[in-house]
Amino acid sequence: MGELEVDVAIIGAGVAGLSIARELSRYSVNVVVIERNVDVAQEMTSNNMGLVCQGADSLTFRPGSLHAELNIKSIPLWPKFAEELGVPFKRVGGLGLICHKADYLRFLKMYSRAFKSSLKPNAPYYIPEGSFKPLQFLDRRSLKDLEPNINPRIQGALYDPNLAVIDPVLLARSLAENAKANGVELLFGNEVKTIERKDTYFLVNTNETTVRASFVVNAAGINAESIAEMVGARNFSYVPVKGILTDFDEETSEVFSHQAFYLPRLGDPHIRAVVPIVYGGLRVGIHLDFVLRSDKNIPLQGLEHNLKVVKEVIPDYPFEKHVKRTFYGIMPLTNAEVGWHDFIVDIPEYVPKWVNVILGPAGVSSAPMLGKKVAELLMTSGLYLTPRTDFNPIVERGVKP
Amino acid sequence: MSLVPERITLDTALKIINAMIRFAKDNQVFPGSYAVVDEGGHVVAFERRDIAPVSTADIAIDKAWTAATMKASGRMLEVITRGEAWRLNVKHKGRLTIIPGAIPIIAHGRIIGGIGHSGGSAEEDLKISQAGWTAIFREEDFKEEVEEKLSKARLIARTVMNIVEERNLKPVSIAVLDEWGGLLLLYRMDGAPYGTLELARDKAWTAAAFRNFSEDAAKFYSNHVNNANWNERVTLVPGGVPFSTEETFRGAIGISGNEPEIDKGVAVEALKRLAIKVQE
Ligand SMILES: Cc1cc2nc3c(=O)[nH]c(=O)nc-3n(C[C@H](O)[C@H](O)[C@H](O)COP(=O)(O)OP(=O)(O)OC[C@H]3O[C@@H](n4cnc5c(N)ncnc54)[C@H](O)[C@@H]3O)c2cc1C
Repeated sequence: MGELEVDVAIIGAGVAGLSIARELSRYSVNVVVIERNVDVAQEMTSNNMGLVCQGADSLTFRPGSLHAELNIKSIPLWPKFAEELGVPFKRVGGLGLICHKADYLRFLKMYSRAFKSSLKPNAPYYIPEGSFKPLQFLDRRSLKDLEPNINPRIQGALYDPNLAVIDPVLLARSLAENAKANGVELLFGNEVKTIERKDTYFLVNTNETTVRASFVVNAAGINAESIAEMVGARNFSYVPVKGILTDFDEETSEVFSHQAFYLPRLGDPHIRAVVPIVYGGLRVGIHLDFVLRSDKNIPLQGLEHNLKVVKEVIPDYPFEKHVKRTFYGIMPLTNAEVGWHDFIVDIPEYVPKWVNVILGPAGVSSAPMLGKKVAELLMTSGLYLTPRTDFNPIVERGVKP
Repeated sequence: MSLVPERITLDTALKIINAMIRFAKDNQVFPGSYAVVDEGGHVVAFERRDIAPVSTADIAIDKAWTAATMKASGRMLEVITRGEAWRLNVKHKGRLTIIPGAIPIIAHGRIIGGIGHSGGSAEEDLKISQAGWTAIFREEDFKEEVEEKLSKARLIARTVMNIVEERNLKPVSIAVLDEWGGLLLLYRMDGAPYGTLELARDKAWTAAAFRNFSEDAAKFYSNHVNNANWNERVTLVPGGVPFSTEETFRGAIGISGNEPEIDKGVAVEALKRLAIKVQE
């Protein structure tokens, strides 16, 4: 049994925990990241779409929610963030598909609401000029020019040239290496078992170590509920949602190169989207289901749904012959009974010096802003943060965390 | 193969309630009432904590009923009705309760029940109900300690269920009321028809109100009132039994599900096993 004393203990080495760790490494504080797996990004962060919401879709998040705030504030930060971390950031562009006049009206409504909430200089989250190219509506012909293989029955699209894809696993790795190079300690293979709350600190007990920390950040992904319950810091609830995705091989890159999605239909909970993978190939999903956190089952309906979606978008291509793998990720969905998901990033009322971070959908996209938000929260709850002069934002690969 | 329940059984309902109590304690919310209903809006389990206001009981039950039968959460209904929900109250004898804290239980892509909490602020009620719903997606068991009266009531209900199983009787509904006729606990065993719910509750009410076996309550007023219908709660059928535990907790239990005499026998036996006095 080892022992460790730090200012901040972060539980979970997913994109949430690591972007917080990297942000805190700008300051002179002792930080440790505790992770139960033997490497970074083994859970949600490795099983997602890989989208970085940049325009159309972040603007459709409910105005006023943290979900919208963190994502929209992240938009101007992304290019520099990705560059410093040496992660390919590919702007593939997104297509909101229009099948009926009603779809067009819905897009128009979302778009104008988004403008009201974000694009005016006095709006709550103003996006600086230059970091955001305007969206445009495409008619059938210009859509065909852009994507020759698209279903001819699709009448048009809302085109978002900003939308990007990345590899979230690589992002997590770079964040970890950069954080480590700047002094953050990473503890792998340490599952948090119990946490004791003392007067001015927490004792975080893992299967191998005891970490004495003044502040704790709970970024344990789908497990955050149990971690928070250990100290009575659970002031949120979520439903575990299993999202099933299917990857198609690199050859499919030749038939389609944009992200494309349908608007949700009434009575159909599943998402219908096609996303290019950074390294080539297409990723299609998402078949959604409320499950137990430990559910490892991949029902056949998942693959069937995903095949149907890709064939709806690109009808004349033998996608069955290009399936690479079908896999799932389990994400926490808050307010699921009304479908108003929101991030949780806050300090519970009765447990100060503790921050809960629950991301769920579009969590990767909010990474650049998340760290700043949490640093701010920690400061308000009494952590003294002085910037370090020797912080190096550029990742150097091979430091091996 | 998922273990998310297909329908709300008594065990599921109790897990939900325990999870709600756990959440309420963690967040230091004042004790309240907790109700879980099935798809049809009928109570599967209800509990009220000791110092919770008595009238929160029916609010919680009606919230759960509203969520299950409107197939929407109170918050959603508030938005849909734009705060004009009171207009609906002419229907269902005012039972529709469109207040946050009413949550439908969604699983397997459909609504399998409803949850209601009453006793906190609208925001707290909502969070507690959400904690209850999400508990069905968790493997852990929530075994929560509760206050003296409710834990006694739980013990009585457990004992009744054991006796019903031992004797191979038909499943029953069990109501435990406090001295003032306020509902403390209402369980419906899996398979018991929902008609037994109100019967059990009214038998217990009759026993509590007259401090007598439910069937003997007529003695008190039959000379003066020749029709028992003067109060729709009065139920002169065996199965309601008043009790008292060393002066600290007086109340009544009501059981319904079998022939009335058998129900009464079960109630008396349960009290005997727990060494609780039948109070006449
Ligand atoms: C199907 C699907 C598609 C998605 N698509 C997108 C998308 O296109 N764009 C986007 O931006 N986002 C997307 N997301 C969301 C995104 O993946 C998540 O928001 C993000 O990865 C969350 O990261 P995290 O760090 O919070 O969680 P995780 O990556 O799950 O990290 C939590 C970590 O905590 C560790 N942990 C848990 N318990 C303990 C313990 N007791 N002790 C120690 N360590 C513990 C875990 O091992 C894990 O490594 C998608 C999610 C899913 C499921």
